[in-house]
Amino acid sequence: MSQDDRYKDIIIREMAKLKKTVKLKVFTCKIKPSSGSLIRECMDCNQFMALLRIYEENSNGMLTIEELCIDDNPEFTKKYDISRVPTILFIDEEGREIIRYLAAPQGGEIQPFIQAIFAFAGAPNYYEATIKQNLDRIQPSTIKVMITETCPYCPQVSTIANNFAIASKGKIRTVIIDIMANPDIGQYYDAAGVPYTIINDQKTLVGMVGANEILRALIGGNIHVQY
Amino acid sequence: MFNIDMDEIDLEKTYDLIILGGGPAALGCAIYAARFAMDILVVGKTFGGLIATTHIVENYPAITSISGQGLMDMFKDHMDSLKIPYISDEIRSIDRVDDHFELHSFFQKFKAHSICIATGSERRKLGIPGEEKFIGRGVSYCATCDGPFYKDKSVCVIGGSDSAAKEALFLAQSVNNVYIIYRGEEIRAEPINKRRVYDNDKIEIIYKTKIVEIKGDTTVKSVIFDNGKEFEVDGVFIEIGSIPKSELANHIGVETNEKGEIKINRKSETNVPGIYAAGDVADAPFKQAITGVSEGVIAAYSAFDYVKEMNIEY
Repeated sequence: MSQDDRYKDIIIREMAKLKKTVKLKVFTCKIKPSSGSLIRECMDCNQFMALLRIYEENSNGMLTIEELCIDDNPEFTKKYDISRVPTILFIDEEGREIIRYLAAPQGGEIQPFIQAIFAFAGAPNYYEATIKQNLDRIQPSTIKVMITETCPYCPQVSTIANNFAIASKGKIRTVIIDIMANPDIGQYYDAAGVPYTIINDQKTLVGMVGANEILRALIGGNIHVQY
Repeated sequence: MFNIDMDEIDLEKTYDLIILGGGPAALGCAIYAARFAMDILVVGKTFGGLIATTHIVENYPAITSISGQGLMDMFKDHMDSLKIPYISDEIRSIDRVDDHFELHSFFQKFKAHSICIATGSERRKLGIPGEEKFIGRGVSYCATCDGPFYKDKSVCVIGGSDSAAKEALFLAQSVNNVYIIYRGEEIRAEPINKRRVYDNDKIEIIYKTKIVEIKGDTTVKSVIFDNGKEFEVDGVFIEIGSIPKSELANHIGVETNEKGEIKINRKSETNVPGIYAAGDVADAPFKQAITGVSEGVIAAYSAFDYVKEMNIEY
């Protein structure tokens, strides 16, 4: 089995287990933005949507991918501050953005993406209890995780960040960024190593970091633990 | 198999065996223990361990050539077939309580009758000025992770081991020049990799040289040699060995040697009954994926015997 077939097999096998409905918004464009446009096309939108349709088609109708073309949806584009396409958004029932993907959920990133879908659908979240215990000490936060396709540790950091965001009920927001598709973001942060995790544009964690290190960076002190 | 499949995890039960780590030794232990029908849980910070960052593995018997990540994907598939639960977390303390151990992380408490410590090792740092400052901005410990940032640039690899040679060979696929900087007189790579390095036009070896400082502005621009010479590079890949991650062992009285490696016998037993160790964290003189797996497998068998002696029903 080729690696591509193996990955497709994982998507098919895992998505079939989804028991609750999840709706994701994906912003794309029909016409490639001009060089002076405020919108940047980072990946081919058609290929990106074809990939997401594999997730959708194998979910027994539980996953809905809503494609929003930025040309036809200026209101949403503005509301969610979409500056590059394609962008995937996990938006909760109260309209809060929980997770933003500026990366294709392919290769190693399949795992955290599917886990995010399941956790978003209400599957048990390993970190939830501790996040809730420490929630009053966490300021509204954004965790940016910069990844590459070849990095073996990136999916693990993405998984932790996504689960934190879902457990925080809107207090933490995660942005997963493919740094090769978005080199300007990497340059902005002088990032030349992954995973590269940035908390609130202030603290930077480079390399494989564990859940406790990210949580500590979020709360700026000791973690309250009560089993 | 996913990192945290909560359906497979019961946080209330006392597991027969909890395996700490995510590399070949830990997963080899888990696969055998699962086949012994033991109740097990794997808790690791990094699934795949250090070998996942190796771009090519050519010495794992029966597999001619595979990426480190590809090898660990195969371990993952094997674990999946046995429904072995894996949690992405880090245990920070172990205590003996009555007939079992309690393991604490920041997120959960676990109970187990036996433990296999296979927490591996972490990259050794140079400890020179500029190293910490430029981590992620030109200083790297993982060519597989960060190599793509240096396309058409010049980089150096610090070290003379087989791992350093393989890092250089991987980087040479995309960068303009790779300089292996080694303090010794002859790199210590396996002969096959040494030959590949010598035959690669993009790789140059600078012998009998240490770097004493890494310089740059927002990113790395150069390194300073111990002879005072400044040498321009865009990236510094440090591959000078690793340090065993054995702090947990010390916490519960498991003996370590002067290198910090956990002392084990031929049954992978430590000095503490019910605690086993395997892989890079243990004191075997020759550390390879296959030897780590072997120690892990033996640890599973020993733990199986140990738990059986406790008259726990399966």
